[in-house]
Amino acid sequence: MLGDGARDARRTELYLDSLVQADDRRALDVPVDTGLDPAVRLAAQRLRSDLVRVHPSFRFEEALAARLSLGAARLRAGLPVEPAEAPAHVPATIAFLRLPTSTAPDVDASAAVQFRNPLLSARPPRPLLFGGVGVASAAISIGAVYVAWRWSHPSPTPMGRAARAAHGSRVTHPAGRSRRTAVLQGILGVVS
Amino acid sequence: MLSKTEEGARLARLDRDRGLVEAARRDPAQFDALYRKYLAQVYSFAYYELRDHHAAEDATERVFMKALAGLPRFEERAGDFTMAPAFGRSGSSTPQAPDADASTFRIWLFRIARNVVANEHRHDRRRPAAPLEEALGLSAPDDIAEAAVAREAGSAAWEAVARLPEDRRRAVILRFVDEMSTAEIAGVLGRSEGAVRVLIHRALRSVAADLRGRLS
Repeated sequence: MLGDGARDARRTELYLDSLVQADDRRALDVPVDTGLDPAVRLAAQRLRSDLVRVHPSFRFEEALAARLSLGAARLRAGLPVEPAEAPAHVPATIAFLRLPTSTAPDVDASAAVQFRNPLLSARPPRPLLFGGVGVASAAISIGAVYVAWRWSHPSPTPMGRAARAAHGSRVTHPAGRSRRTAVLQGILGVVS
Repeated sequence: MLSKTEEGARLARLDRDRGLVEAARRDPAQFDALYRKYLAQVYSFAYYELRDHHAAEDATERVFMKALAGLPRFEERAGDFTMAPAFGRSGSSTPQAPDADASTFRIWLFRIARNVVANEHRHDRRRPAAPLEEALGLSAPDDIAEAAVAREAGSAAWEAVARLPEDRRRAVILRFVDEMSTAEIAGVLGRSEGAVRVLIHRALRSVAADLRGRLS
Protein backbone atom coordinates (compact mmCIF):
# COMPACT_ATOMS: atom_id res chain seq x y z
CA MET A 1 0.00 0.00 0.00
CA LEU A 2 1.46 3.30 -1.07
CA GLY A 3 1.27 6.39 1.09
CA ASP A 4 0.27 9.77 -0.32
CA GLY A 5 3.89 10.85 -0.71
CA ALA A 6 4.89 7.70 -2.58
CA ARG A 7 1.78 7.92 -4.77
CA ASP A 8 2.52 11.54 -5.66
CA ALA A 9 6.13 10.63 -6.38
CA ARG A 10 4.99 7.82 -8.68
CA ARG A 11 2.59 10.16 -10.44
CA THR A 12 5.39 12.70 -10.93
CA GLU A 13 7.61 9.99 -12.35
CA LEU A 14 4.99 8.91 -14.85
CA TYR A 15 4.53 12.51 -15.89
CA LEU A 16 8.29 12.94 -16.44
CA ASP A 17 8.33 9.74 -18.51
CA SER A 18 5.51 11.09 -20.65
CA LEU A 19 7.47 14.33 -21.19
CA VAL A 20 10.46 12.33 -22.42
CA GLN A 21 8.26 10.22 -24.68
CA ALA A 22 6.61 13.35 -26.09
CA ASP A 23 10.06 14.69 -26.95
CA ASP A 24 11.03 11.37 -28.52
CA ARG A 25 7.92 11.54 -30.70
CA ARG A 26 8.67 15.19 -31.43
CA ALA A 27 5.15 15.90 -30.27
CA LEU A 28 4.33 19.58 -30.00
CA ASP A 29 1.69 19.16 -27.32
CA VAL A 30 2.78 18.75 -23.72
CA PRO A 31 1.07 15.93 -21.86
CA VAL A 32 -1.29 17.00 -19.11
CA ASP A 33 -1.94 15.11 -15.91
CA THR A 34 -4.78 16.92 -14.18
CA GLY A 35 -4.16 15.03 -10.96
CA LEU A 36 -0.63 16.35 -10.64
CA ASP A 37 0.09 19.54 -8.73
CA PRO A 38 0.16 22.27 -11.43
CA ALA A 39 3.23 23.90 -9.82
CA VAL A 40 5.14 20.61 -9.99
CA ARG A 41 4.02 20.16 -13.59
CA LEU A 42 5.23 23.63 -14.49
CA ALA A 43 8.57 23.10 -12.73
CA ALA A 44 9.05 19.82 -14.60
CA GLN A 45 8.40 21.49 -17.94
CA ARG A 46 10.73 24.32 -17.06
CA LEU A 47 13.57 22.01 -16.06
CA ARG A 48 12.97 19.88 -19.12
CA SER A 49 13.51 22.91 -21.37
CA ASP A 50 16.21 24.73 -19.37
CA LEU A 51 18.56 21.96 -18.26
CA VAL A 52 20.23 21.30 -21.57
CA ARG A 53 23.04 18.87 -22.17
CA VAL A 54 26.41 20.53 -22.67
CA HIS A 55 29.16 19.33 -24.97
CA PRO A 56 32.76 20.21 -24.19
CA SER A 57 34.93 21.95 -26.75
CA PHE A 58 36.20 19.97 -29.72
CA ARG A 59 39.76 20.79 -28.64
CA PHE A 60 39.21 19.22 -25.24
CA GLU A 61 37.48 16.19 -26.75
CA GLU A 62 40.37 15.44 -29.08
CA ALA A 63 43.05 16.09 -26.46
CA LEU A 64 41.41 13.70 -24.02
CA ALA A 65 40.94 11.14 -26.79
CA ALA A 66 44.69 11.33 -27.42
CA ARG A 67 45.42 10.82 -23.73
CA LEU A 68 43.09 7.83 -23.59
CA SER A 69 44.76 6.42 -26.68
CA LEU A 70 48.13 6.68 -24.95
CA GLY A 71 46.62 5.06 -21.86
CA ALA A 72 45.23 2.24 -23.99
CA ALA A 73 48.66 1.67 -25.51
CA ARG A 74 50.15 1.50 -22.03
CA LEU A 75 47.48 -1.00 -20.99
CA ARG A 76 48.28 -3.18 -24.00
CA ALA A 77 51.92 -3.11 -22.94
CA GLY A 78 50.93 -4.29 -19.46
CA LEU A 79 51.58 -0.91 -17.84
CA PRO A 80 49.21 1.21 -15.76
CA VAL A 81 47.11 3.70 -17.71
CA GLU A 82 49.05 6.63 -16.32
CA PRO A 83 52.71 6.60 -15.27
CA ALA A 84 53.05 6.75 -11.51
CA GLU A 85 55.55 9.60 -11.68
CA ALA A 86 53.28 11.76 -13.79
CA PRO A 87 53.38 15.35 -12.59
CA ALA A 88 50.34 16.79 -10.95
CA HIS A 89 47.85 18.62 -13.12
CA VAL A 90 48.41 22.30 -13.60
CA PRO A 91 45.53 23.74 -11.63
CA ALA A 92 42.95 25.58 -13.67
CA THR A 93 42.09 27.74 -10.71
CA ILE A 94 44.05 30.10 -8.56
CA ALA A 95 43.24 29.81 -4.90
CA PHE A 96 42.03 32.92 -3.15
CA LEU A 97 42.70 35.05 -6.19
CA ARG A 98 40.01 37.68 -6.46
CA LEU A 99 41.32 40.71 -8.23
CA PRO A 100 39.19 43.82 -8.07
CA THR A 101 37.82 44.63 -11.52
CA SER A 102 39.44 48.04 -11.58
CA THR A 103 42.95 46.62 -11.12
CA ALA A 104 42.50 43.46 -13.17
CA PRO A 105 44.79 43.52 -16.19
CA ASP A 106 43.13 43.66 -19.57
CA VAL A 107 44.18 40.20 -20.65
CA ASP A 108 43.08 38.46 -23.79
CA ALA A 109 42.81 34.78 -22.88
CA SER A 110 44.08 33.74 -26.29
CA ALA A 111 47.15 35.93 -25.87
CA ALA A 112 47.90 34.78 -22.35
CA VAL A 113 50.98 32.69 -21.69
CA GLN A 114 50.47 29.12 -22.78
CA PHE A 115 52.15 26.54 -20.59
CA ARG A 116 53.14 23.48 -22.55
CA ASN A 117 54.66 20.70 -20.53
CA PRO A 118 55.75 17.99 -23.00
CA LEU A 119 54.53 15.32 -20.57
CA LEU A 120 51.08 16.88 -20.65
CA SER A 121 51.10 17.87 -24.29
CA ALA A 122 47.95 15.89 -24.96
CA ARG A 123 46.03 18.03 -22.49
CA PRO A 124 44.27 21.05 -23.90
CA PRO A 125 46.35 24.18 -23.56
CA ARG A 126 44.94 26.58 -21.04
CA PRO A 127 45.80 30.19 -20.48
CA LEU A 128 47.76 30.63 -17.32
CA LEU A 129 49.14 33.75 -15.77
CA PHE A 130 52.60 33.54 -14.37
CA GLY A 131 54.12 35.93 -11.90
CA GLY A 132 57.50 37.54 -12.82
CA VAL A 133 59.26 35.65 -10.04
CA GLY A 134 58.07 32.32 -11.40
CA VAL A 135 59.30 33.03 -14.93
CA ALA A 136 62.68 34.29 -13.73
CA SER A 137 63.10 31.29 -11.45
CA ALA A 138 62.34 28.87 -14.28
CA ALA A 139 64.78 30.61 -16.64
CA ILE A 140 67.56 30.57 -14.03
CA SER A 141 66.95 26.88 -13.32
CA ILE A 142 67.13 25.99 -17.01
CA GLY A 143 70.31 28.06 -17.40
CA ALA A 144 71.92 26.42 -14.38
CA VAL A 145 71.14 22.96 -15.67
CA TYR A 146 72.66 23.83 -19.05
CA VAL A 147 75.84 25.23 -17.44
CA ALA A 148 76.20 22.12 -15.27
CA TRP A 149 75.71 19.90 -18.31
CA ARG A 150 78.30 21.79 -20.34
CA TRP A 151 80.72 21.64 -17.40
CA SER A 152 80.52 17.85 -17.34
CA HIS A 153 80.47 17.33 -21.13
CA PRO A 154 83.66 18.48 -22.85
CA SER A 155 83.34 19.60 -26.42
CA PRO A 156 83.87 16.78 -28.94
CA THR A 157 85.87 19.00 -31.31
CA PRO A 158 89.68 19.32 -30.97
CA MET A 159 89.40 23.11 -30.86
CA GLY A 160 86.88 22.95 -28.05
CA ARG A 161 89.02 20.54 -26.04
CA ALA A 162 92.09 22.76 -26.57
CA ALA A 163 90.20 25.86 -25.46
CA ARG A 164 88.95 24.08 -22.39
CA ALA A 165 92.47 22.81 -21.53
CA ALA A 166 93.90 26.32 -21.96
CA HIS A 167 91.17 27.78 -19.79
CA GLY A 168 91.71 25.16 -17.10
CA SER A 169 95.47 25.75 -16.99
CA ARG A 170 95.06 29.49 -16.39
CA VAL A 171 96.06 30.78 -12.99
CA THR A 172 92.93 32.13 -11.40
CA HIS A 173 92.79 34.55 -8.56
CA PRO A 174 91.41 32.74 -5.48
CA ALA A 175 88.93 35.50 -4.85
CA GLY A 176 87.66 35.25 -8.42
CA ARG A 177 87.25 31.48 -8.18
CA SER A 178 85.39 31.70 -4.92
CA ARG A 179 83.17 34.44 -6.30
CA ARG A 180 82.35 32.33 -9.37
CA THR A 181 81.69 29.28 -7.20
CA ALA A 182 79.45 31.31 -4.94
CA VAL A 183 77.48 32.57 -7.92
CA LEU A 184 77.05 29.05 -9.28
CA GLN A 185 76.04 27.74 -5.87
CA GLY A 186 73.59 30.55 -5.58
CA ILE A 187 72.06 29.68 -8.94
CA LEU A 188 71.88 26.00 -8.12
CA GLY A 189 70.58 26.68 -4.64
CA VAL A 190 73.47 24.86 -2.96
CA VAL A 191 74.09 25.80 0.65
CA SER A 192 77.65 25.24 1.78
CA MET B 1 19.57 -19.01 -8.59
CA LEU B 2 20.84 -18.07 -12.04
CA SER B 3 23.58 -20.11 -13.61
CA LYS B 4 26.62 -18.33 -15.05
CA THR B 5 25.25 -18.75 -18.56
CA GLU B 6 21.83 -17.42 -17.62
CA GLU B 7 23.39 -14.53 -15.78
CA GLY B 8 25.58 -13.73 -18.79
CA ALA B 9 22.59 -13.88 -21.11
CA ARG B 10 20.62 -11.62 -18.78
CA LEU B 11 23.48 -9.12 -18.70
CA ALA B 12 23.79 -9.26 -22.49
CA ARG B 13 20.09 -8.44 -22.78
CA LEU B 14 20.23 -5.72 -20.18
CA ASP B 15 23.33 -3.88 -21.28
CA ARG B 16 23.10 -2.08 -24.59
CA ASP B 17 26.82 -1.33 -24.39
CA ARG B 18 27.80 -4.95 -23.97
CA GLY B 19 29.36 -5.16 -27.45
CA LEU B 20 31.37 -1.98 -27.04
CA VAL B 21 32.53 -2.99 -23.58
CA GLU B 22 33.67 -6.41 -24.76
CA ALA B 23 35.53 -4.85 -27.69
CA ALA B 24 37.25 -2.40 -25.35
CA ARG B 25 38.28 -5.25 -23.07
CA ARG B 26 39.81 -7.16 -25.95
CA ASP B 27 41.55 -4.06 -27.27
CA PRO B 28 41.73 -0.99 -24.99
CA ALA B 29 42.02 1.23 -28.08
CA GLN B 30 38.34 0.42 -28.73
CA PHE B 31 37.46 2.31 -25.55
CA ASP B 32 37.30 5.36 -27.78
CA ALA B 33 33.78 4.40 -28.93
CA LEU B 34 32.50 4.37 -25.36
CA TYR B 35 34.31 7.63 -24.66
CA ARG B 36 32.73 9.40 -27.63
CA LYS B 37 29.31 8.05 -26.74
CA TYR B 38 29.29 9.25 -23.15
CA LEU B 39 31.58 12.29 -23.21
CA ALA B 40 28.81 14.89 -23.36
CA GLN B 41 26.77 13.15 -20.68
CA VAL B 42 29.65 12.91 -18.23
CA TYR B 43 30.83 16.43 -19.01
CA SER B 44 27.31 17.82 -18.53
CA PHE B 45 26.95 16.07 -15.20
CA ALA B 46 30.29 17.47 -14.04
CA TYR B 47 29.52 20.92 -15.38
CA TYR B 48 26.12 21.21 -13.69
CA GLU B 49 27.62 19.90 -10.45
CA LEU B 50 30.80 21.96 -10.40
CA ARG B 51 29.57 24.98 -12.36
CA ASP B 52 32.99 25.66 -13.76
CA HIS B 53 34.22 24.88 -17.26
CA HIS B 54 37.77 23.88 -16.34
CA ALA B 55 36.77 21.96 -13.23
CA ALA B 56 34.29 20.01 -15.36
CA GLU B 57 37.00 19.24 -17.90
CA ASP B 58 39.36 18.01 -15.21
CA ALA B 59 36.64 15.88 -13.65
CA THR B 60 35.66 14.45 -17.03
CA GLU B 61 39.26 13.55 -17.75
CA ARG B 62 39.62 11.79 -14.41
CA VAL B 63 36.39 9.87 -14.94
CA PHE B 64 37.41 8.46 -18.30
CA MET B 65 40.98 7.68 -17.24
CA LYS B 66 39.61 5.80 -14.23
CA ALA B 67 37.07 4.03 -16.40
CA LEU B 68 39.75 2.92 -18.85
CA ALA B 69 41.95 1.68 -16.02
CA GLY B 70 39.06 -0.08 -14.28
CA LEU B 71 37.39 -1.63 -17.30
CA PRO B 72 38.68 -5.15 -16.54
CA ARG B 73 36.85 -4.97 -13.19
CA PHE B 74 33.63 -3.53 -14.62
CA GLU B 75 31.43 -6.62 -14.63
CA GLU B 76 32.06 -7.56 -11.02
CA ARG B 77 31.33 -4.05 -9.78
CA ALA B 78 28.17 -3.71 -11.80
CA GLY B 79 26.95 -7.15 -10.77
CA ASP B 80 24.68 -5.98 -7.97
CA PHE B 81 22.87 -3.61 -10.29
CA THR B 82 22.35 -6.10 -13.08
CA MET B 83 20.49 -8.29 -10.63
CA ALA B 84 18.00 -5.55 -9.77
CA PRO B 85 14.44 -6.85 -10.14
CA ALA B 86 13.27 -4.14 -12.49
CA PHE B 87 15.05 -2.12 -15.09
CA GLY B 88 12.29 -0.45 -17.06
CA ARG B 89 12.30 3.13 -18.22
CA SER B 90 9.31 3.85 -16.07
CA GLY B 91 11.17 2.41 -13.10
CA SER B 92 8.19 0.51 -11.80
CA SER B 93 8.87 -1.91 -8.99
CA THR B 94 6.88 -4.60 -10.73
CA PRO B 95 8.92 -6.97 -12.89
CA GLN B 96 9.16 -5.80 -16.48
CA ALA B 97 10.80 -6.72 -19.71
CA PRO B 98 14.39 -5.48 -19.78
CA ASP B 99 14.83 -2.04 -21.27
CA ALA B 100 16.62 -1.96 -24.59
CA ASP B 101 18.09 1.45 -23.69
CA ALA B 102 19.54 0.32 -20.41
CA SER B 103 23.27 0.27 -19.85
CA THR B 104 25.04 -1.05 -16.80
CA PHE B 105 28.20 0.49 -18.21
CA ARG B 106 26.57 3.91 -18.00
CA ILE B 107 25.60 3.25 -14.38
CA TRP B 108 29.16 2.22 -13.58
CA LEU B 109 30.62 5.21 -15.42
CA PHE B 110 28.36 7.63 -13.56
CA ARG B 111 29.23 6.03 -10.25
CA ILE B 112 32.82 6.95 -11.02
CA ALA B 113 31.68 10.43 -12.04
CA ARG B 114 29.71 10.83 -8.81
CA ASN B 115 32.78 9.93 -6.75
CA VAL B 116 35.05 12.25 -8.73
CA VAL B 117 32.61 15.14 -8.35
CA ALA B 118 32.17 14.43 -4.64
CA ASN B 119 35.95 14.51 -4.20
CA GLU B 120 36.06 17.79 -6.07
CA HIS B 121 33.40 19.25 -3.76
CA ARG B 122 35.35 18.09 -0.71
CA HIS B 123 38.50 19.64 -2.14
CA ASP B 124 36.68 22.90 -2.78
CA ARG B 125 35.41 23.02 0.77
CA ARG B 126 38.93 22.57 2.12
CA ARG B 127 40.52 25.09 -0.23
CA PRO B 128 38.12 27.65 -1.63
CA ALA B 129 39.21 28.66 -5.10
CA ALA B 130 37.90 31.11 -7.62
CA PRO B 131 37.95 30.18 -11.27
CA LEU B 132 40.42 32.25 -13.21
CA GLU B 133 37.74 33.53 -15.59
CA GLU B 134 35.63 34.60 -12.64
CA ALA B 135 38.54 36.36 -10.99
CA LEU B 136 39.49 38.23 -14.16
CA GLY B 137 36.03 38.54 -15.61
CA LEU B 138 37.02 36.45 -18.63
CA SER B 139 35.24 33.72 -20.49
CA ALA B 140 36.66 31.25 -22.97
CA PRO B 141 36.33 33.11 -26.26
CA ASP B 142 36.27 30.02 -28.46
CA ASP B 143 33.70 28.00 -26.61
CA ILE B 144 30.19 28.69 -27.81
CA ALA B 145 28.65 25.95 -25.70
CA GLU B 146 30.26 27.47 -22.64
CA ALA B 147 28.78 30.86 -23.47
CA ALA B 148 25.36 29.33 -24.06
CA VAL B 149 25.43 27.52 -20.77
CA ALA B 150 26.68 30.61 -19.01
CA ARG B 151 23.53 32.34 -20.19
CA GLU B 152 21.49 29.39 -18.97
CA ALA B 153 23.27 29.64 -15.65
CA GLY B 154 21.52 32.89 -15.12
CA SER B 155 18.14 31.30 -15.53
CA ALA B 156 15.92 31.03 -12.54
CA ALA B 157 15.47 27.32 -13.05
CA TRP B 158 19.14 26.58 -12.86
CA GLU B 159 19.56 28.74 -9.80
CA ALA B 160 16.69 26.92 -8.16
CA VAL B 161 18.33 23.59 -8.91
CA ALA B 162 21.67 24.84 -7.60
CA ARG B 163 20.01 25.63 -4.28
CA LEU B 164 18.72 22.09 -3.84
CA PRO B 165 20.37 19.75 -1.33
CA GLU B 166 23.11 17.66 -2.89
CA ASP B 167 21.23 14.37 -3.29
CA ARG B 168 18.13 16.03 -4.79
CA ARG B 169 20.21 18.16 -7.13
CA ARG B 170 22.16 15.15 -8.33
CA ALA B 171 19.00 13.17 -8.96
CA VAL B 172 17.46 16.05 -10.92
CA ILE B 173 20.58 16.47 -13.08
CA LEU B 174 20.71 12.75 -13.86
CA ARG B 175 17.00 12.76 -14.68
CA PHE B 176 16.73 15.92 -16.75
CA VAL B 177 20.19 16.41 -18.24
CA ASP B 178 21.32 12.83 -18.69
CA GLU B 179 17.78 11.49 -19.16
CA MET B 180 18.27 8.50 -16.92
CA SER B 181 15.43 6.31 -15.75
CA THR B 182 14.61 6.02 -12.07
CA ALA B 183 16.27 2.61 -11.98
CA GLU B 184 19.47 3.96 -13.51
CA ILE B 185 19.59 6.90 -11.09
CA ALA B 186 19.04 4.47 -8.24
CA GLY B 187 22.03 2.49 -9.51
CA VAL B 188 24.23 5.58 -9.70
CA LEU B 189 23.25 7.00 -6.33
CA GLY B 190 23.09 3.68 -4.53
CA ARG B 191 19.50 4.29 -3.43
CA SER B 192 16.27 2.37 -3.91
CA GLU B 193 14.01 3.33 -6.79
CA GLY B 194 11.35 4.47 -4.34
CA ALA B 195 13.82 6.77 -2.62
CA VAL B 196 14.88 8.26 -5.97
CA ARG B 197 11.24 8.87 -6.93
CA VAL B 198 10.67 10.76 -3.68
CA LEU B 199 13.92 12.71 -4.11
CA ILE B 200 12.88 13.94 -7.55
CA HIS B 201 9.33 14.70 -6.49
CA ARG B 202 10.52 16.76 -3.54
CA ALA B 203 13.12 18.48 -5.70
CA LEU B 204 10.40 19.52 -8.16
CA ARG B 205 8.28 20.86 -5.34
CA SER B 206 11.23 22.90 -4.08
CA VAL B 207 11.95 24.25 -7.56
CA ALA B 208 8.27 25.09 -8.01
CA ALA B 209 8.20 26.98 -4.71
CA ASP B 210 11.41 28.78 -5.65
CA LEU B 211 10.05 29.83 -9.04
CA ARG B 212 6.76 30.91 -7.51
CA GLY B 213 8.64 33.01 -4.93
CA ARG B 214 10.57 34.75 -7.69
CA LEU B 215 7.46 35.52 -9.68
CA SER B 216 5.66 36.95 -6.69
